[in-house]
Amino acid sequence: MDEEPERAKRWEGGYERTWEVLKEDESGSLKATVEDILFQAKRKRVFESHGQVRLGMMRHLFVIIDSSRSMEDHDLKPNRLTSTLKLMEYFVEEYFDQNPISQIGIITTKNKRAEKLTDLAGNPKKHIAALKKAVDSTCVGEPSLYNSLNLAMQTLKHMPAHTSKEILVVFSSLTTCDPANIYELIKTLNGLKIRVSVIGLSAEVRVCTILTRETGGSYNVILDESHFKELLILHVKPPPASSSSECSLIRMGFPQHAIASMSDQDAKPSFSMSHLDSAGEPELTLGGYYCPQCRAKYTELPVECKVCGLTLVSAPHLARSFHHLFPLEAFQETPLEEYEAERFCEACQGELKDKSVFTCLACKKVFCVECDLFIHDTLHCCPGCMQTDRMS
Amino acid sequence: FRLNIEGLLVYFPYDYIYPEQYSYMLELKRTLDAKVCYNPFIKLISSCMQYAYPLEVTKLVYCSRTVPEIEKVVEELRKLMDYYAKQTGVKNDFLALALSSRKNLCIHPEVSSLRFGKEVDGKCHSLTASYIRAQHHSNPSQPVCQFFEEFDAVGRQVPIPPGIYNLDDLKDFGRRKGWCPYFLARYAILHANIVVYSYHYLLDPKIADLVSKELAKKSVVVFDEAHNIDNVCIDSMSVNITRRTLDRCQTNVETLQNTISRIKETDAAKLREEYRRLVEGLKEANVARETDIYLSNPVLPDEILQEAVPGSIRTAEHFVGFIKRFLEYLKARLRIHHVVQESAPQFLKDIYEKVCIDRKPLRFCAERLRSLLRTLEIADIADFSAITLISHFATLVSTYSKGFTIIIEPFEDRTPTIANPVLHFSCMDPSIAIKPVFGRFQSVIITSGTLSPLDIYPRILDFRPVTMASFTMTLARTCLCPLIVGRGNDQVAMTSKFETREDFAVIRNYGNLLLEMSAIVPDGIVAFFTSYIYMENIVASWYEQGILENIQRNKLIFIETQDAAETSMALEKYQEACENGRGAILLSVARGKVSEGIDFVHHFGRAVIMFGVPYVYTQSRILKARLEYLRDQFQIRENDFLTFDAMRHAAQCVGRAIRGKTDYGLMIFADKRYARADKRGKLPRWIQEHLTDGSLNLTIDETVQLSKHFLRQMAQPFRREDQLGLSLLTLEQLQSEDMLQKIAQIAQQA
Repeated sequence: MDEEPERAKRWEGGYERTWEVLKEDESGSLKATVEDILFQAKRKRVFESHGQVRLGMMRHLFVIIDSSRSMEDHDLKPNRLTSTLKLMEYFVEEYFDQNPISQIGIITTKNKRAEKLTDLAGNPKKHIAALKKAVDSTCVGEPSLYNSLNLAMQTLKHMPAHTSKEILVVFSSLTTCDPANIYELIKTLNGLKIRVSVIGLSAEVRVCTILTRETGGSYNVILDESHFKELLILHVKPPPASSSSECSLIRMGFPQHAIASMSDQDAKPSFSMSHLDSAGEPELTLGGYYCPQCRAKYTELPVECKVCGLTLVSAPHLARSFHHLFPLEAFQETPLEEYEAERFCEACQGELKDKSVFTCLACKKVFCVECDLFIHDTLHCCPGCMQTDRMS
Repeated sequence: FRLNIEGLLVYFPYDYIYPEQYSYMLELKRTLDAKVCYNPFIKLISSCMQYAYPLEVTKLVYCSRTVPEIEKVVEELRKLMDYYAKQTGVKNDFLALALSSRKNLCIHPEVSSLRFGKEVDGKCHSLTASYIRAQHHSNPSQPVCQFFEEFDAVGRQVPIPPGIYNLDDLKDFGRRKGWCPYFLARYAILHANIVVYSYHYLLDPKIADLVSKELAKKSVVVFDEAHNIDNVCIDSMSVNITRRTLDRCQTNVETLQNTISRIKETDAAKLREEYRRLVEGLKEANVARETDIYLSNPVLPDEILQEAVPGSIRTAEHFVGFIKRFLEYLKARLRIHHVVQESAPQFLKDIYEKVCIDRKPLRFCAERLRSLLRTLEIADIADFSAITLISHFATLVSTYSKGFTIIIEPFEDRTPTIANPVLHFSCMDPSIAIKPVFGRFQSVIITSGTLSPLDIYPRILDFRPVTMASFTMTLARTCLCPLIVGRGNDQVAMTSKFETREDFAVIRNYGNLLLEMSAIVPDGIVAFFTSYIYMENIVASWYEQGILENIQRNKLIFIETQDAAETSMALEKYQEACENGRGAILLSVARGKVSEGIDFVHHFGRAVIMFGVPYVYTQSRILKARLEYLRDQFQIRENDFLTFDAMRHAAQCVGRAIRGKTDYGLMIFADKRYARADKRGKLPRWIQEHLTDGSLNLTIDETVQLSKHFLRQMAQPFRREDQLGLSLLTLEQLQSEDMLQKIAQIAQQA
């Protein structure tokens, strides 16, 4: 018990009706419908990414995490804050995995104030470290939507127009304490083309509905922890760029990683340029990435060169975001009854049991729902097509 | 799209239709030859339906309750007309208009700036009365209303162009032409196809006489939001007389006397002319009624029309003397120290014995006074409201021997030491006021979202319905969540029962309930109490216990008061707080202004909490008399009626939260008595359906859990496609076989 003295005992916590979650609804209307809606939403995610739309590949995303009193609620285990921060760690990793040339920043809000946890940066490690540290912070007071949005906006408004500027709010409280009219701020955000999305942890709040509708973001409320995770993953994919955002060619540098070991006599330890504005202790390191234009040294990528302003990325990073531009086409959905051939999924070799099956339009192979999702979300290429390619 | 309902073509201005709407139309079509009693959720549809009958029904009179509702109906109508014009390509000459009081329609710069309806009426009258205008002829400095003059000169000959006129449209039209919109509207309702106005214009005999008496017999009358119609009827026929009324009446009489003596010196011929007219009697009015031109006025009984005004009050002086005697008698009656309750015949007998006033002249009192005021050319009618009231009382008391009671109370129950005598002349039978309406019009439709139970309405209004039906709502998701909270976490029963309402534990539990709900419900919560006093007590007690402070950490608190201006201010701020994410709680009172006329759509009311069962004040003598009457005349048990009345008000309060199918809200009944079958069974069907056994007699904790779950479910994205086919139908879906079968089940014949 010593290791978790703060946490309330089980019997002190809220009265739970765990059987409710498993309850089968006789009337069938509520539960079935909501599940159906959720399934549809899952499918929609696949569909949406398949239109020929331009995507905002370079994203600048601020995540605002509510740390007000309501985050102490125990409806997510062990409490909302811990659960959220843990999921955020996962999110940050996924985010950089899918969007290698993007940046993220974290803001927390409590006690009517907003506070920057990390600045916009492209290094997942730093963010994750900050998130881990934040677990111990206490949750007090009310959040301020205005202050935190304003803080994020101050940074985002200086970002170039071709990048996608986004804010994701994880909002647990049902109230917000604002110093000024938030609708003015929403107008400004809209003018700056900053997209704000909200994930609500408790219920639908009007001001968030307006906020997301006006700025073109999405608004979801979680049902439980797994749904929360699902909603976060929705924000991993780059959003379609607004048609009015300008197109421009961007100069990029691909620095080589120079490896030096202590045993190498020629190598001299040097400071990384990214330490210039960071608060942490500068460290002397051996080796790193050198800007091809000005030879400034950086320890991590992607980054904008502090000296000459060149965007530095690594080629594998860029290649990873390639699949967003050429996504796999959606498979054709047919009801199981109409499908007459052998009922085996091409990928997992399992029996097709769901109410519909999915056929690849190119190779005519058939897949189950789970594999269809996996192929489109993770693999980004059809295993059937790969096989036929090899055969020929 | 176009619908074919059993051979009748209906134009429907939207792409989608609710199944209940279709069912409603079906029922309406089948029975549109007489009186119908309905309980729909979607009400505007009836006006759409009506339009399918441009030939058979010459006129539709649509009565609603509040100005915003009237405006909503007209806007709906406008959509329909646009659609109709687009579909058929025929520009038809169709006139629909809304009518409201002078206060809402006046465009005179000085008059319209006045704040109170009464002031506006009085000022308007002082500018537009016929003799004022006559004086204006001889003396141009006498002010008149130029808008009325203009209308009178030109407006009557030129009919108002066909179209749909809302209140603002009428004002615009009036400004453009320089005509008075109010008189224009009043004149235009005679040939308009659809008239939308408040139901006082039809039920209150004093107003109906001016406005509605010339409506064609073939009209169809719709009473919307009619769950309270019996109370409106009763109010319109009841008279309350206080000492203040009598004092003001006294001054009125003196003014009359002075005016008479002055006129006698200057213009005796005028009084003689009046006398001659009175001898001839009210034959003209009688002829008019017989030929069915007018809606009969329940204050002016039939017999009066056939007789001449009795000799004793024919001359002006005699009449003033007569009124004076009557007044003195009333004063004497008010000078008592105990409560008196008597019937109308008893009262008449007493008055005959004491001051020798006969029944017959009393009956002519109202008519005689009106004639006198006309003759004397008194400008400001508003000043004479007291004497008019007394004369109405005189006529009513001598006309109806049944259905009325007289109660004289020397003081109010709450303040037994302060003498404040009131004479209540109370109508107990709502059917008296509504009878002329049923008698005259071809079809009368009574409809509301909360007419429940249906069968009691025909009994108390005394009519035989042709069809009664109540409709459920078909929902794609269960967007309402009624919960009955019976206990606190400490298992103490929660109830507003008289014996326990002062109980500390009950008040604390109510406070805890509100506190817990304020933490989990987003945006707006509306809480209803059973009365102002009860609310004050509870809030004071919460303040002492510190509950109020805790609630305020979650949401702001606003309170409805008896002051209308204060309440509308509180409402405005409440809505602002809901809008900008601060969240708010509105504490209000069942039967108050908020519970009757104000909608809390979407975020303005995510939860409604009903603290206690809103019974009427049962110690009131008027109520007791009415209950007795109901028992004797209609065989309705007291308890049944009280429960019925309480439940319709509870349903009314709770129904404020859900105003459409995309809306959602919690309905929390915080009293264990709601769980009983007799209470539960009287809720409207659409609420009852969602009240499962699992949602009865909950504790606060259970309520919180259920609410949290519900709110999360409801916050999931909900698009139109999800509704399609279930609760929203396209034309093709509507025509499919099994859907038609489903629809047939929606309407429940009661």
